Amino acid sequence: MAQLRPRAGTQALFRFRPVRDKVLVTNLEGRWLLLSQEDFQAYARGEVAPGSELHRRLDEANFMRDGYRVPEAADRIRARKSFVHAGPNLHMFVVTLRCNETCVYCHASRANLDAVHTDMGKETAERAVDLVLQSTSPFVTIEFQGGEPLVNYEVVQHVVETATAKNREVGKQLEFTMVSNFALLDEERLDWLIAHRVQLCTSVDGPEALHNAQRKLPTGDAHQRTVHWVRRINERYRELGLDPTLYHVEALLTTTRATLPMWKEVVDTYVGLGCRSLFLRPLDPFGFAERTRRRLEYPRGEYLEFYRNAVDYMLELNARGVEILERYAAIFLTKILGGSDPNFLDLRSPAGAGIGALAYDYDGRIYTCDEGRMLAAMGDRSFEIGHVERSRYREITGHPTVRALAIATNLDAQPDCIHCSYQPYCGTNAAFNYKTQGSIFGRMRDNAVCAVHKGIQDYLFEKLDEGDPQVMQTFERWTTIRPREHFIQPADPAGAPP
Amino acid sequence: MSTPLTDVPEGLAEVDEREGSASVSLDATLYPLPAVYAASYVLIDRAYVLLDRPSDDRIRITVMPKQLPVSPQDLRSLVGELANELLACAFRHQLTQDNRVVVETVTMQAMAGAMGAPSLADLADFDFTDEALDDPLGIAQSWEERHGKTALESKGQAEPPPDAEDPA
Repeated sequence: MAQLRPRAGTQALFRFRPVRDKVLVTNLEGRWLLLSQEDFQAYARGEVAPGSELHRRLDEANFMRDGYRVPEAADRIRARKSFVHAGPNLHMFVVTLRCNETCVYCHASRANLDAVHTDMGKETAERAVDLVLQSTSPFVTIEFQGGEPLVNYEVVQHVVETATAKNREVGKQLEFTMVSNFALLDEERLDWLIAHRVQLCTSVDGPEALHNAQRKLPTGDAHQRTVHWVRRINERYRELGLDPTLYHVEALLTTTRATLPMWKEVVDTYVGLGCRSLFLRPLDPFGFAERTRRRLEYPRGEYLEFYRNAVDYMLELNARGVEILERYAAIFLTKILGGSDPNFLDLRSPAGAGIGALAYDYDGRIYTCDEGRMLAAMGDRSFEIGHVERSRYREITGHPTVRALAIATNLDAQPDCIHCSYQPYCGTNAAFNYKTQGSIFGRMRDNAVCAVHKGIQDYLFEKLDEGDPQVMQTFERWTTIRPREHFIQPADPAGAPP
Repeated sequence: MSTPLTDVPEGLAEVDEREGSASVSLDATLYPLPAVYAASYVLIDRAYVLLDRPSDDRIRITVMPKQLPVSPQDLRSLVGELANELLACAFRHQLTQDNRVVVETVTMQAMAGAMGAPSLADLADFDFTDEALDDPLGIAQSWEERHGKTALESKGQAEPPPDAEDPA
């Protein structure tokens, strides 16, 4: 391919990347083709014969300058970028930094259980709710985070009740989720959370020994407790008559060096818990993970090998009728195959910091993103954009930092991304860039997140090239989004719990 | 005493191990000044950075790591980091100019989408004496204000006298 002398003239804008023995070409609006080397050379040289099969394929996917269908391209770009106008829909409430567990990689810089000064107060929470309900987005989700949110359960309840009551006048589509280790859950609390339609998520690091080594409770049984409650919650959903394929606890994985050889055990653990999805997230450099990185970190090449092994195994399980999807793959495939954007905030251009999400810290400070508040806990307040007591909604979302992040994460001005065939499907995380490379722009060529995104998309396009019907069927299912309507708060007060 | 950095063309980079500093000499026509500022700025959490212009066609960046002691490897890494960041910033500078319209349009839509319309409270606090609303060219002034004529005089000039002939 190095010998190739492209000749401009007949092609519409395209980007290319070798995928095994083929060449992937993508265009401005994110349509793609996998071409043989010969076909690609003919295309790049402008030597595709009109009337040929190759010409038909290229023309059909809008790769030819002659006859380029502008309205069609505009419609597709509009669909891909629909999130741009949407406003912040994800609102993260850090209700406390206190946590009963000690995780070796804790990104949130957790505090001890006696550090009550790191609890969010009710008044702070109310001011934050007021801001959430001023969001321009008609759909808002309040996500309780920590620390461990159940440590400040009273404020969680207060936020749910206050937001639900206030929303009756505002009329947004309101949802609540809580990310918890479940160790402080009991039947009474579970009754209340389920009655108030709070979606429950947790962290599972894989099999018992690995989980307990990384997520430590004084009693040494973090895994057992989490697993107990995952099963119990799923049981409760079934008792409510909810479809278990749609309504079940979702769990998140944090991949450390110790996880890498255990890809099979990790997948089996999730399947055994009844989870239908697994998010193979690599380690982030925030919080305690910075201090423990020598023990926990790994080259991204090793992570990608782990990813390939794990997803290959998941595809095998799907072929045997076990439904389990990998979240990264599902996000990318929704864009690649579906042409729409699932609005995952770090995988869009521009990213969602401040314009798609806001993080409210326990002390009322507001950040553009979760990572922003994590950096603040490490002493760097660069991503702080306001305070619930003092800032108006438009001051927060119109903050110069939000504007800077929207520009910095726009891949149309990012070296490397501008020529990358994965540009229509990708995104960058300014806080990660800032932390690891010193600027919110980052340098994609030696950026760990970029390496992961490219590696995962390489894998997915290899699978698309292989075209195994069973795998294609699984991919199709992974891109089918089924909304969990049960978790939407009822607009009518009659539908609210007593 | 400064010694040239190996693996780098002569005269472009040198390190002073005793002083714990390194300097990079750039062709001023190759790197736009905003890119030099941006790349140098990225290092200021790790190093003290000094820019100077030893001649019209050269820019020199001197970096001194904050954390001591400094090894030759530290200095080499810092120079390498600076060189890569310079390229990234110069390239981004060019891309930003090339794609300015797209980036500005998307940013404007994203900001407008997130901010929404101003509330009455926002408008109440709006500073209408803001400089942006000054009118140094007198564009918002009426003809009369601008030329010191009364409305009546202007009217008289604008309208033909009642006994004038109809040109039609």
